[in-house]
Amino acid sequence: MGKYMLRRLVRSMITLFLVVFIVFSLLRLMPIEGYFPNYEKLTVEQIEAGLKNMGLLDPLPIQFFRYVKDMLHGDLGYSRTYMANVLVTDILKQKIPISMKFGLSTLFLALLISIPLSLAMASHKGKLIDRIGTLFLVILQAVPYAVYLLLIQAIGTEKLHIKMLYHANDVTTWILPIVSMSLGNIAFYTTWLRRYLIEEEKKDYVILAKVKGVSSKRILKKHMLKNAIVPMIQYLPNSIFNTIIGSIYVESLYSIPGMGGLLVQVIQRQDNSMVQAVVVLFAITGILGVLLGDILLCLIDPRVKLNSKGGV
Amino acid sequence: MVLLVLCFSLLLSSGCFGTSKIRDNEVDSTYRLLYSSEVSTLNYLITSSSHEIRIGANVIDTLVEYDSFGNVIPSLATSWKTSEDGLSITFELREGEYWVNEKGEKIAEVTAKDFVSAMQYVLTKEYESETAKLLFGLIKNAKDYYESQGDFERVGVKAYGNYTLVYTLEQPCPYFLSYLTYGCFMPAYGPLLEERKGQFGAATGTDTLYYNGAYVLSVFKPQEKRTFQKNESNWDADRVYIEKIEETYNSEATTLAPALALRGEIDYAAIHSDLLDTFMKQENTKDLVTRGRKKTDYSYFYIFNFKPKFDKRYEPENWNKAVQNENFRLAIMSAMDRVKALRVVEPNHPEELLLNTITPPNFVSFEGKDYTEFQALNNISKRDSFKKDMAVIYKEKAMSELKESGCTFPVKILLRYRANSTDWANECIVLAQQIEGLLGKDFIKFVVEAGPSQNFTSQVRERGDYAMLKANWGADYADPQTFTEVFDQHSATNYLPLRGEKLTIMPVIDIYYDLLSEAKESVLDIKERYIAYANAEAYLIKHALVIPFSMSPVSYQMTKLNTYESSYASFGVSTSRYKGMKYYKVILNNRIMEINKAVWEKEKKTKERLVR
Amino acid sequence: MTWREQNTKEWANINELSSFQFANRKIEDNKIRDAKADTYWMATIKTFAKNRFAMFLVCVLLLLILFTIIQPYLPSQKDPNLIYNSRKTGQQIRNQTPTKDFWFGTNSIGQDLWSRTWSGARTSLFLGIAVSVIEAIIGTTVGLLWGYVRKLDAFFTEIYNLLDNIPSTIVLILISYILRPGVTTLLLALCATGWIQMARFIRNQMLLIRDKEFNIASKMLGTSTLRILRKNFMPYLISIILMRVSLSIPSVIGSEVFITYLGLGLPLNIPSLGNLIQAGRAKLMMPGLRYQLLFPTLIVSIITISFYLIGNAFADAADPKNHR
Repeated sequence: MGKYMLRRLVRSMITLFLVVFIVFSLLRLMPIEGYFPNYEKLTVEQIEAGLKNMGLLDPLPIQFFRYVKDMLHGDLGYSRTYMANVLVTDILKQKIPISMKFGLSTLFLALLISIPLSLAMASHKGKLIDRIGTLFLVILQAVPYAVYLLLIQAIGTEKLHIKMLYHANDVTTWILPIVSMSLGNIAFYTTWLRRYLIEEEKKDYVILAKVKGVSSKRILKKHMLKNAIVPMIQYLPNSIFNTIIGSIYVESLYSIPGMGGLLVQVIQRQDNSMVQAVVVLFAITGILGVLLGDILLCLIDPRVKLNSKGGV
Repeated sequence: MVLLVLCFSLLLSSGCFGTSKIRDNEVDSTYRLLYSSEVSTLNYLITSSSHEIRIGANVIDTLVEYDSFGNVIPSLATSWKTSEDGLSITFELREGEYWVNEKGEKIAEVTAKDFVSAMQYVLTKEYESETAKLLFGLIKNAKDYYESQGDFERVGVKAYGNYTLVYTLEQPCPYFLSYLTYGCFMPAYGPLLEERKGQFGAATGTDTLYYNGAYVLSVFKPQEKRTFQKNESNWDADRVYIEKIEETYNSEATTLAPALALRGEIDYAAIHSDLLDTFMKQENTKDLVTRGRKKTDYSYFYIFNFKPKFDKRYEPENWNKAVQNENFRLAIMSAMDRVKALRVVEPNHPEELLLNTITPPNFVSFEGKDYTEFQALNNISKRDSFKKDMAVIYKEKAMSELKESGCTFPVKILLRYRANSTDWANECIVLAQQIEGLLGKDFIKFVVEAGPSQNFTSQVRERGDYAMLKANWGADYADPQTFTEVFDQHSATNYLPLRGEKLTIMPVIDIYYDLLSEAKESVLDIKERYIAYANAEAYLIKHALVIPFSMSPVSYQMTKLNTYESSYASFGVSTSRYKGMKYYKVILNNRIMEINKAVWEKEKKTKERLVR
Repeated sequence: MTWREQNTKEWANINELSSFQFANRKIEDNKIRDAKADTYWMATIKTFAKNRFAMFLVCVLLLLILFTIIQPYLPSQKDPNLIYNSRKTGQQIRNQTPTKDFWFGTNSIGQDLWSRTWSGARTSLFLGIAVSVIEAIIGTTVGLLWGYVRKLDAFFTEIYNLLDNIPSTIVLILISYILRPGVTTLLLALCATGWIQMARFIRNQMLLIRDKEFNIASKMLGTSTLRILRKNFMPYLISIILMRVSLSIPSVIGSEVFITYLGLGLPLNIPSLGNLIQAGRAKLMMPGLRYQLLFPTLIVSIITISFYLIGNAFADAADPKNHR
């Protein structure tokens, strides 16, 4: 087990390193105009001096290793065009809690709804509840979220008169964004839970329990659910880590000052140290999430072999 | 079922908190609005972006300011005097002005030294001030210090005692006062600059600055909100009528603001031209939409590319031949129905936006005579360049001349716009259709193509990846020279081909360059200077080297402020100030606004007559 | 004679197993199912055809696609980019609610939304289908190599781990940001991220089939790799690929809408559903103008839901367990 984890860890580190390198190189392809907010009115010498100041005239490998060295010291550099001369880590410290707060509430709401929903759908397979539920899931998965989130915003603010703009101190303003964000999660969890539950139903122990006369409700809740949830556990760490990243679309629709909008903004403002920091953060959360998910799964379900390569 | 549950929970929760908490505007005058782009810094000494300096404008007082008619009035300086040689200007400062912190507590007195320290900060290279360039060639040794640093003593700004400030110039500059409301001339508390260095004005909170203006920034939460609170200790606090300004961040502000303003959640909303018709038609909104005050800050014009470097598909060689032909350019100029194109941004009064010269009217004047009314420009500024009959005549001439030089028809014209600018895109589409319709598709064929949303300037204009392009330029100081910087071979931002390029059109352009350098030389006699600049500008337009287009679109808005009460100027930060404006409890009706406008225009005329 | 019979004979001859005698039974007599009528494909199509709702959606979709193609050639159709001026006033017909002339109304500069919507649907469908097909081609090729050639497995797995960890949003944004906005750029950006998922999916299927008896048998018989891939794997994979393609079309169309939302989408003179939705979004707060948002969202929803459901129905039908 220890060996397995070590190997996974080393591989994750290498992946991380490569991800950082690729993003770093990609960002150097950007036109230089973005480094200067008032490019139009600068002279050639000023631009040259500015580039030199930022260390952008050095060869790429030198720039990269300087960056990695600083990063290992916990120094992600200063933001430039997003929040001039402010430490990147300070900005992230402000943003992450907000996104996490929303993300965790979203996850909670999603699980709260998708577990009973999938139980109801699986136990009434093919009946009305299942059909309505499926329709709901299909709509969520097929219609672009950019479209249905707009509808939620329009209905929520116009018909239900909920305030549209996010205020940190006004809980009502959290409702729409949390509902909007949880829909995707609900669709994901419900679909898979329902599928696993139906698969469980065909298994021998369920048939045995039925024959023994255990009530189907009890079988569903006590036995099947437990087994069906096991494969889902794998995704949980990833879901939790993903809350750090936030949702680009929802955050900007309701102007929540979290991480989601940050990536788009820093890319548009070409704040390279910020883009790098955010991407590295994304990569770390992604890699850690998968890693923890695998470890968690093998702790809970001893049947899963540690060295098995990627599932179907 | 789930949907039902969701709806119920929504209904319940909204019933509990939502409707009951529609906030009364408890403080008598809190002005609330949305903003969609967060500032990257509060440091007014380094930023050049107009939406960032808006904060500095309201929290920092400058030496002079402008009244609502555009006249210079004293602010931190009570009086000033220019030496006889015109090389040094002495300001006497107001006594008893204080730097305060975000809570309004007094920190120290504002002294002449604070102007010196601030300018030293601006000219310190490592802080990369974007406005430092404005000082070069103006303040003595500013450029020299910026480049080699060392002793600041040699730079032409000195404090004598606490209340006397002297600027020494490189050469006499009659319009020096118009520079004083820019960020690089603002004061800053010296010890704070020392302490914070690069972190001065970092956009992290309200404690990175000290304030001496009409307002202090009492709350600043990036991408959430910011609040301006009236600074009671300001010398002019009696003229600051709005107690508090609350600005809330929303990236979708343009879409949401109108609905929120109607609901009373905010007090100001810009109405985009898209929605204007509908607002004007609806019974409940038609009276609430008012027009903002005309702005003379930017000039928009269409430029031709004399050194095309675009894709072979669009036949750059052919364009090159065509564009050097004067009749060809004149044909396009007189075929361009600018009013129709401007209807995209201003559906109701597009003709009021027209600009027939590069320098807008009411920008500078000499002895009551506007610069655009000087003899050379008078005819041009009175005419409309759109002339259907002439366009056809020019077209015939151009066709026969161009056929001789081997030009093929139709000439493809690559017209570019920035991808994320809907108005610009629509304007290009309108123009292309209209001009093609008039001149005929056998003569020209427009190719309207989007450019990148970011880095448009470097990717399209600097690379020469266009045939025609709408460009703009804003005034930096009160002199016609400021608008020639885009047509000046000595400027980094020149749109015209440089002297000595191998183009058949060069003799025409060389004459313009000669006229320009002649104009630059007349420094002391303003009248002579204006005449010379007017000559140069008239030449530029007559030969259709550029097509003057419009001024900045006037915004339509719903607002509870009377915009005619605020400072008015074509340059500097004064127009972003809230000082002088009163907060009215309802959205101003457009009839009231029309009256406000009439009153303002009348008073402005009276004042001007007095000056004369 | 089926290939299996033929091969058995050859094999027998080669090994000169004289003791091995034929039972003189004809395979045809002993078949339980009719080979021709019962090929995998026929069964799949039959099962699919039984799903009436799915068939209905296929019809809807085919009609829709057909209509978007022929729409411009129908009589009295308007140019999607032309601005219409009122005859009376000579001004643009702006924000006109649906009328007899303009079936879907006009937008804020007086362009006809009916033709823009269909032209947009054309662009979006083209993007969706093109991207999915390109993804499928690249993904399948890589996936086949990845799954079949053992030596390459580690290599591709590493690449996958690497690419999978770069958020696709970032790649999408970066590409559409660096390059000139247009159909090609968008095509590139959308293709850049999807193929690796497809490849992995194919590879996983390959691993399941690779070590099955019939494959080992044909390998032993010296069948060429190419032939094995073509004859043994492809029948299984084709249905999976088709399913993935039909499921990825809605997600590509969704991505286009999202990219446009970020301001990095197609220029306005190329109408797309993303563009139209983005333009309509600005009118969300104006009840009188919501028709500008309604039509494009309706079309988007019909297209994406249909593709999604068809994809799922096809997946069910392609599963041999569900045949008969």
